[in-house]
Amino acid sequence: MLVVDILTGGVRGGTAIMFAALGETLAERAGVVNLGTEGCMLVGALGGYAVAAETGNPWLGLLAGALAGAALGLVHAVAVVWRRADQFATGLTLMFLGLGLTSLFGAAYVGKAAPGFDPVPLPLLGDIPIAGEILFRHDPVTYLTFVVAPLLWFTLNRTKAGLLVRAAGERADVLHVHGHSADLVRTAAVTAGAALAGLGGAQLSTAYAHAWFEGMTAGRGFIAVALVIFAAWRPLWVMAGSYLFGAALAVAPALQARGHALNQFALDALPFVITLVFLAVLGRRTLRAAPEELRRVFAR
Amino acid sequence: MTATLASPVESAAPRRTAARTAARLLGALAGALAIFCVLLLAKGADPVTALGDMVASVFTAESLEQIVIKATPLILAAMAVVVPARAGLTNVGGEGQVVIGAVAGAGVGLAVPGPAALPLTLLAGAVGGALWAGVAAALRLVVGVNEAVTTLLLNYVALDVMLYLIYEPWKDPHGSGQPASRPLDLAARLPLLSGTAIHMGIVVALVAAVAVWLVLRGTSFGFRVSVVGGNPEAARRAGLPVARLILLAMLLGGALAGLAGAVHLAGVEFKLRPGLTTNIGYIAFLAAWLARHRPLPTVGAALLLAAVTVAGDSLQLDSGLPAATVNILMGLVLLAVLGWSRRARR
Repeated sequence: MLVVDILTGGVRGGTAIMFAALGETLAERAGVVNLGTEGCMLVGALGGYAVAAETGNPWLGLLAGALAGAALGLVHAVAVVWRRADQFATGLTLMFLGLGLTSLFGAAYVGKAAPGFDPVPLPLLGDIPIAGEILFRHDPVTYLTFVVAPLLWFTLNRTKAGLLVRAAGERADVLHVHGHSADLVRTAAVTAGAALAGLGGAQLSTAYAHAWFEGMTAGRGFIAVALVIFAAWRPLWVMAGSYLFGAALAVAPALQARGHALNQFALDALPFVITLVFLAVLGRRTLRAAPEELRRVFAR
Repeated sequence: MTATLASPVESAAPRRTAARTAARLLGALAGALAIFCVLLLAKGADPVTALGDMVASVFTAESLEQIVIKATPLILAAMAVVVPARAGLTNVGGEGQVVIGAVAGAGVGLAVPGPAALPLTLLAGAVGGALWAGVAAALRLVVGVNEAVTTLLLNYVALDVMLYLIYEPWKDPHGSGQPASRPLDLAARLPLLSGTAIHMGIVVALVAAVAVWLVLRGTSFGFRVSVVGGNPEAARRAGLPVARLILLAMLLGGALAGLAGAVHLAGVEFKLRPGLTTNIGYIAFLAAWLARHRPLPTVGAALLLAAVTVAGDSLQLDSGLPAATVNILMGLVLLAVLGWSRRARR
């Protein structure tokens, strides 16, 4: 069934975007925009694939992807938080760094095989008609997002660490009054967020594409940044939005598999156009939910 | 952005501060270069040889012509960052505006015969780029979504628009191999500067850069835009039409980037093909920030990054490293300038 195919593909293809968008949510709730999410995903994709290929263990690859993303995110945090560099320009520079680094170190892994994650249908849940097919017959990394998204919601809204992050994003001076450093909190949030972006990249290479190629994230990091805005900085809305974009990505292959001769590029533009339309329709309303410190960055 | 207030100590000793800034910048650049060398070492390449080859490769007559040719669209696309930046906007959409400029230029250039073809090609490019940037400006003004996010998304849409056209409706039926549009007629191409391989586009680019400099420096539009960029709230209270100025700055920027695309098409490529822009928009963004959005230094920065790009080809030929490796060098240098060229503002 076409709809089931598209929705299944939506969950499959939305997972990488979701990791990145959850990471960006964390950073932005602390008051920092990381346009470098695209670069963090790229180094995560290569790091994950390369380590999986070298060690034979895709789980180690996943860990490496997260660490690679975090390393690049830390660069962003240091430049933006401690050196007060412009957030957008630094983010774009990070993407450029990611492109160059993965081009230099990735050439050896193009076309090279590596162990990856294969679909593991969940017992019982996977047998549910339709819903089971859409949600519960995926690779283990996809299942990980089912945990990570609610966990991020819980952390942000119900824990001390989450309170510190939100305070850094809403009223940094209050944090100072209580003896905490907003700079430290932001650094931690950006780095942890970038680790999630790296994880998303690693999912892309080791579970989704089962390959590494240059520029393979193809703008997913930027979609993630936009997604966070119209999901109004809420992890569970981010989850839903990611599946929407995954579905937009899945339309083309689903139609082509049925022999429809469609111009591929019109469909390739679909996720970006949908993102822009959503921003246009929901932007005004959701921007009111923006963290206070972030609003200053956005509306200079 | 927080306002920059010189501390009393700094204003008392401006020369010492300038020296310190220069020293800090040099240190940061040296750091960037050192990191680049470490990365080359990690890849198993000899950094001294690689950098030596890069520098040597730049100083041949052929390379110098290549640098000017590559710098031409970079200068124009960098101005597309400079003008909106004066209004406080971050135009990261140069890449998409360049693509749409080339597409619009090709659309008109392929349809119009005779001597009007060239000026109309360039004009169409500018209009196309302005409209594309206008989408982001409209989203910023009407909905309040930051233009850095939307211009980035529009880059991908622009690329898909071009690919859609050259894979189907505009595909050259006589072309072989890679899909491409029909080539422009000779009348629609930019002539060469006599005795060189350099096309007239560099003149267009330099004139545009000087014009931008003059407009920002000496006209009331330039002044008002700077006020909006410096403090939009103050501009609003002073009765300036903030929204209109923001829109104009963005449209002007888009027009310059679109012109870059049309000039690149009419001077170098002649037909639309995948990979037409080779990151022109992004490298131009780096150039503009490298020069801190001052128009004339931006020309120098564009030439410098064009030289680095040309040197990157030598990296590929002589050291067997991917040409994109120079992206690392460019990224590190800009990072150094962004974060370490002056004392962090608190």
